[in-house]
Amino acid sequence: MTLNRWAQTPKGFVSMLLITNLLVSCLWGSDWDGMIQTIVAVGSTVALDVLISFMKKKKHLKPDGALITGLLISLVLSVTTPWPIVVATSLLAIVSKHVLVVQKRPIFNPAVLGLGLSVMIFHSEQSWWGAFGDLPASSIPLLLIAGLYITGRINKFPQVLSFLGISFLCLLIASIFHIEAVYDAFRPPFINATLFFGFFMLTDLPTSPTKYSDQTVFGMLTAVIGVLDYVFFGGLVYLFLGLIFGNLFQAYRTWRRAGVRRDQKKSSMYPDRRGMTL
Amino acid sequence: MAKMKTKWIALCSSAIAAVYSAGLFITNEDFNNTLPDIPQQSALSIPYDVATPTDSTPTYNAQPTNKYKNGTFHGTGSNRRGSIQVTVIIKNDAISEVEIGNFAMHYSERDISGLPNEVLQSQSAKVQNVSGATYSTRAFEDAVQDALDQARNG
Repeated sequence: MTLNRWAQTPKGFVSMLLITNLLVSCLWGSDWDGMIQTIVAVGSTVALDVLISFMKKKKHLKPDGALITGLLISLVLSVTTPWPIVVATSLLAIVSKHVLVVQKRPIFNPAVLGLGLSVMIFHSEQSWWGAFGDLPASSIPLLLIAGLYITGRINKFPQVLSFLGISFLCLLIASIFHIEAVYDAFRPPFINATLFFGFFMLTDLPTSPTKYSDQTVFGMLTAVIGVLDYVFFGGLVYLFLGLIFGNLFQAYRTWRRAGVRRDQKKSSMYPDRRGMTL
Repeated sequence: MAKMKTKWIALCSSAIAAVYSAGLFITNEDFNNTLPDIPQQSALSIPYDVATPTDSTPTYNAQPTNKYKNGTFHGTGSNRRGSIQVTVIIKNDAISEVEIGNFAMHYSERDISGLPNEVLQSQSAKVQNVSGATYSTRAFEDAVQDALDQARNG
């Protein structure tokens, strides 16, 4: 597959947009430390993904998902994060992708689980610099344009819109009740994080639903859990926690549907079985 | 699978923008209440000593040659990730105690728990950057510097 053809695929397109975010952040912020961090993160995720795929004797080694995971990890972690923590976060993400699976598909968005665990284990610092979290608020329209474009390309509007709508609605309700810390969520860099998360992390193709009704429930559930965590516990894992619950919900549905399909297949293979037992 | 119609996308996006704007407007007062604590207030022409004068209890018995006044001084440092308030006690022109008062960063306070001791040892607001806690370190430095600026003689 040529680079041009790869860039036309959903994963290729997301990768190109994330690389654009990376370049804009580095150029506008005149800080190139993020570039080195990205090389470390992407190098770690791609190398480990290829290694595990090789060990699993997979026919096609396609580390494009690992490339996106590495980019996301790098764009969220602060650029001052020590490189061993960047590597460890990348390893956690890729191992979760291969180990925590249902119906041969990863349960959790690897980058989100890796980043969430990284905060808990290593107290890693997130800055969402790739979401323009360190840039002036005038950079937000760029994020919106890129995000809306990718959402349309991968057909995830119900998911993204339900997530953003319910998130802002819950935060609005919390602010009406004068819960103090909520004002941050409507302003940079938290609004940057919410938008980037909604457009680029929530929409991960292998771990999110395709049916519109499922997308809507998935987005709403992620939003409610995330806002509850933000309002009552604070910290910076609220978005990740919301999506982890959303992913679990989606994995449960996938598992149940697979069970139903298995039962249907069995009953079609042995149509007279019921009659025999009677 | 059919794609969501553009008119529905536009309608939902407008509704979300309206809810967001309402949230931004309602929380404006809470946000403005935090502004006096922000060091960048100098850019808004509010000098530091106007922002937190009532908290400081300096005593004016120091010699004019001393760099700092004796007393207890409160300083605030903040950035986009939250704010930190510190209390600095000056005795005989030396920093004798530093305490983190209100920690309102979106990170763990534990990350910078060693910084007050570092200030006591170096007798300066400048501290080593805590790896993985850059924003908290910067806010802490700003808070200590804010307190020292208030304590400064002359």
